[in-house]
Amino acid sequence: MSPRRAETGGRIDRLRTIRFTFDGAPYTGYAGDTLASALLANGVTLFGRSFKYHRPRGLLAAGVEEPNALVTVLRGEVREPNIPATMVEIYDGLVAVSQNRTPSLAWDIGAINQLGGKILSAGFYYKTFMGPVIGPLKGTRFWMFCEHFIRRAAGLGKAGTAPDPARYERMNAFCDVLVVGSGPAGLMAAKAAADQGARVILADLEANLGGSANWSGETIDGMPAADWAQRLAAQLAGNDNVRLLPRTTVWGYYDGNTLAALERVTDHKEVAAKGEPRQRYWAIRAGTVVLATGSFERPLVFPGNDRPGVMLAHAAERYANEYGVLPGQRIALFTNNDSAYRSAVALKKAGAAVVAIVDVRGDVSNEMRRLASDAEAELLAGHAVIATEGGKALTGLKVQRFDATSGVLSGDERSIHADSLLMSGGWSPTIHLASQAGAKAEWDPARQAFLPPKPTQRWTGAGAFTGSFSTAEAIAEGRAAGLQAAGGAASSAPLPVVEAAPGDPDPAPVFEIKAKGKSFVDFQHDVTAEDVRLAHREGFISVEHLKRYTTLGMATDQGKNSNVPGLAIMAEALGKPIPEVGTTRFRPPYTAVSIGSLAAERFGDLKPERLTPMHDWHITNGARMYSAGLWYRPMIYGLPGETVEQAYVREARATRESAGIVDVSTLGKIAVQGPDAAEFLDRVYTNMFSTLAVGKARYGLMLREDGLAFDDGTTWRLGEQEFLMTTTTANAGKVMQHLEYFLDVIWPELKVTVTSVTDEWAGAAIGGPNARAILASCVTGTAVDNATLPFMGIVHGQIAGVPVMICRLSFSGEMAFEVYSGAGYGTRVWEALIEAGKPFGLVTYGLEALGTMRIEKGHVTGAEIDGRTTARDLHLDWMLSKKKPFIGSAMMDREGLIAPDRLELVGLIALDNRPLNGGGHIVEELDEANPHASLGHITACCYSPALGKHIALALVKGGEARHGTRAFVSDPLRNRFGPVEIVSNHFYDPDGSRMHG
Amino acid sequence: MLITCPYCGPRDVIEFTYQGDGNRERPQPASQNLDAWNAYVYDRLNPAGDHNEIWQHSGGCRAHLRVVRNTITHEILSTEFARGGHKSTDSRAEGRS
Amino acid sequence: MAEQHLPERQSPLEPDYHPGSHGNFEHGVDVILSETRPGSILQLAAWPGEESRLIEIIRKVTGLALPDGAGGGVSSGGSAAFGFAPGKFTVLDEAEGLAQAFADAMTPAIGTLTDLSHGRTTIRIAGPKAEWVMAKFFAIDFALPAFPLGAGRSTNHHDIFAQIQRTGADQFDIYVFRSFARSFWKALCYASEEVGYEVQ
Repeated sequence: MSPRRAETGGRIDRLRTIRFTFDGAPYTGYAGDTLASALLANGVTLFGRSFKYHRPRGLLAAGVEEPNALVTVLRGEVREPNIPATMVEIYDGLVAVSQNRTPSLAWDIGAINQLGGKILSAGFYYKTFMGPVIGPLKGTRFWMFCEHFIRRAAGLGKAGTAPDPARYERMNAFCDVLVVGSGPAGLMAAKAAADQGARVILADLEANLGGSANWSGETIDGMPAADWAQRLAAQLAGNDNVRLLPRTTVWGYYDGNTLAALERVTDHKEVAAKGEPRQRYWAIRAGTVVLATGSFERPLVFPGNDRPGVMLAHAAERYANEYGVLPGQRIALFTNNDSAYRSAVALKKAGAAVVAIVDVRGDVSNEMRRLASDAEAELLAGHAVIATEGGKALTGLKVQRFDATSGVLSGDERSIHADSLLMSGGWSPTIHLASQAGAKAEWDPARQAFLPPKPTQRWTGAGAFTGSFSTAEAIAEGRAAGLQAAGGAASSAPLPVVEAAPGDPDPAPVFEIKAKGKSFVDFQHDVTAEDVRLAHREGFISVEHLKRYTTLGMATDQGKNSNVPGLAIMAEALGKPIPEVGTTRFRPPYTAVSIGSLAAERFGDLKPERLTPMHDWHITNGARMYSAGLWYRPMIYGLPGETVEQAYVREARATRESAGIVDVSTLGKIAVQGPDAAEFLDRVYTNMFSTLAVGKARYGLMLREDGLAFDDGTTWRLGEQEFLMTTTTANAGKVMQHLEYFLDVIWPELKVTVTSVTDEWAGAAIGGPNARAILASCVTGTAVDNATLPFMGIVHGQIAGVPVMICRLSFSGEMAFEVYSGAGYGTRVWEALIEAGKPFGLVTYGLEALGTMRIEKGHVTGAEIDGRTTARDLHLDWMLSKKKPFIGSAMMDREGLIAPDRLELVGLIALDNRPLNGGGHIVEELDEANPHASLGHITACCYSPALGKHIALALVKGGEARHGTRAFVSDPLRNRFGPVEIVSNHFYDPDGSRMHG
Repeated sequence: MLITCPYCGPRDVIEFTYQGDGNRERPQPASQNLDAWNAYVYDRLNPAGDHNEIWQHSGGCRAHLRVVRNTITHEILSTEFARGGHKSTDSRAEGRS
Repeated sequence: MAEQHLPERQSPLEPDYHPGSHGNFEHGVDVILSETRPGSILQLAAWPGEESRLIEIIRKVTGLALPDGAGGGVSSGGSAAFGFAPGKFTVLDEAEGLAQAFADAMTPAIGTLTDLSHGRTTIRIAGPKAEWVMAKFFAIDFALPAFPLGAGRSTNHHDIFAQIQRTGADQFDIYVFRSFARSFWKALCYASEEVGYEVQ
């Protein structure tokens, strides 16, 4: 049998043996074991190597605050580092490995760092920035030299590189009462609130609800506390208005009583069920929160307090009572308070020999003396531990007489032979969530602890969280908190009766025993008491500076063990009381949170995307898709063997020679309706829309309030009070918000409704010399000749038996038409147009050809309307009405916006016949070695099949005046230099004869 | 952070878009007073304390709201429709804010 | 045009719509997913002060009596209506042509009518775990007392805007923009795997 597992006892299932490996060696444990308890049962004492000095470390704790025993859990190729072994539930096939050791835990070459302790003291990392001068290595260079080694030597587990196939989910929850912590206080609160009919969520980070009841050994209502807790939890589970969330860590307390929690759904299972997430991120909106988060036992700070075998007293009690595992056979205790006496009795009862209780207090109560004798332990009152002995396991300790008031050691050293030393430095309420919620913690001199602040949000506390450390108090406070949270009246009904060991909750104010040797404050970050004093000597006396300089409390455990002792030592160095030193505010997360759970479903295939009605047709017909924001649009419809450039050149050329068709369903479309719609558009656009006739469209430009260009598009007047506005694809959402803002906030008197109808309509733009003939061959119910459908005219008809709306407008510069149909008919109409176009050689074209034709025409898009350009810069000043004010009209003529040296839109032709690049700069004189004096930059470029040249649009200083002159493109990043000619942005068909036909 | 929309009730802040300082006053459309326009477009109060703000419930009913928010505590002191006329008829909203 | 017999509309979900049981369904399916494909989806908006007249028009045209209050709604057989924003209502019918039915009654003095029959896709989730699956997407309270039968809600899932109507004790109809529908559908199926789902 396991060397340290007791024959009986514990809440594990001894009938179910679990097999797992640690560092490659096979072990067994029982269902209900954590990795920590199972390894301890197997006689493992060495769990990890420390962060800086690579000192051997064992288990300090039994719960979430464990700083030393961090392991990496492997699932296939996926590795999750830095999990406390105390939080890993074992399952068949679990593979865990230790961290920060080379080549093995027992033989770690990094342990040599222990010899260089002076160099690696507090702030060592920062000091390397300044660095001593060693030959050529000084300052930054010294740091860079050191950094390589520091980063390799210091550290925790390594993150994996394999993709994580696990499923993560987000879950939203609402409740009247959220109870955090399921110890006696939390269970009572949940029960009381549930009995009031409140919707209750009870969350606990442990697998088994019950908290301290699971290991306290106390009796409640005549039954073992653990059974009492289990019974209460079972009652709650049967309640429709209660949701129990075991294995769920509430890690963030945010504004508006919104809390974040992480549920580890399948981490304890060998295999997840189909569709079951590994972890669930719960966003909980709670009416009231009951914080019943308990407390942490504090270590004492003395030389050798980090040796494997030195453990928190309650942790040993828990291993014995909950898991039936003894941390040692010969146990000594070291304490400044009464709670360790209970632990001593528990361990004695579990079968260990308790050799001594070392108490810093000279004056120990008779009750405690009785407990010591129950444990058959020698009581050394007024003594302190000054050293520990052993290597990878404890062999003994040394004690000396100690004065708790002066801190002075005296008398002879005495050695005690023990394989386990349990310490208790008092208790700190787990106030993290309360601190996150807003206010500052308050120091209680009797408890020697920070107590929760006054609530700034709707929460109430109960039990050890409030500094009430006895189970009887926890039960009373829990019920009161639950009733209060659920809006119930206080109850005078009898409470469950607790039988527990006696004890005074107030410790002696002793945190550190000053003797020779390294005394650890922060175990995980290897911060010693001397480091804290060094920080003080070097001037880092504010608590925030102390934290950053020494990294105290900055490890993955966020100082759960070390905060108060660290502050106490700093306070002593400063000669100030602890409350004057203050404490740092706790921030989320309470424990480490996986990035996967935060990302939840928003990655990979499940990322939201927008598809046009013709999407599947594009895919089937060889389109290569391109993501434009959330939309997917065809980039090209490539033929076999074609490059992207060959494809778009072919598509654009065919469109100009005969006809082409493109999916324009992504254009933003907004229905603007109501008696004041025309008036509203007059205010929103720079040009007039009230004068637009029904059945006609007009190109419009919008400015921002500051006078810069915002968006452009055509707006169609479908009725006296009904307009269909189109926007650029990218700005659809922004324009919608802009319109809504003005209607809600600035002009609420206007009777106008704006509605996004982008998705209502499928849009196909068909253009080219044969476009009209193609339409004429498939449209019924209307003519499409020049008289019926003039430029910017709109007609209604049918294609393939479905209603369509056709507007004659052109982006390509060809005679072109936009055909709109209900989105559900989009593919049907599209296919009918393709069919009708076959005799004419109609091609489908994508974004690349669309862009090419718009560059040839010199039309602007988001690349030019970039938030810095004005209408004048873009030669759109002809659209600025002088008859009316409009958004931006007052600000657009400001001095800086009409200056002659502004960047203006021009066209460029590459004179060396090589491709140009977007973002390349334009200069007057070429200086490849020292590129300078930019005149502007290229916004869009292509090979123009119409011109047979490489062309671009650019924003260039004093642009129009430079037409016909030579300049150079200077693009050092891509090593593209060469001569260009500056021309008008209207490269192709400048008088528009092709589109007006 | 939760904002209580007068129509939809309390909703998570991710459903809302901040639409700027609620203290700005837009000059008359035809005004040529550049100082007034400048103040409207660029000047912001940025107080440490209670602040009038415009938020849009963009992920919900899309109404713009006038919100008084404490910039130190993030407490939302009041919310109302920016557009008058539609007082909430939602009995659920009572007692929420 | 209403009299004309129009061809069937294409569903945006088609390639990813797989009738049958999926996910963890060995112990039964806990949600049923379907696309309801109503013929007409309208948005009706009243000017300030005209809301009650609009509610009366909705009652006259559809027979649906909207309860008072924000987000109030009702569903009955093949038609439904609910408020989704101040003065704004979504009204739908399984038949096409509802816009024509409203055209005469909705005068400019009352408000506006916008036809969204193609622009919104309606997905129904029903079953004992409907609330559970919905909670994976939306940060609103789906419990019956907070979200009564017939009521409507406007909310979003990331960029996907959604209107939701409760059309049964454990049944919700979700209206999403058509372009997002397939993406949302795939995510909904994925999220339903855990409880086992059937596509009808």
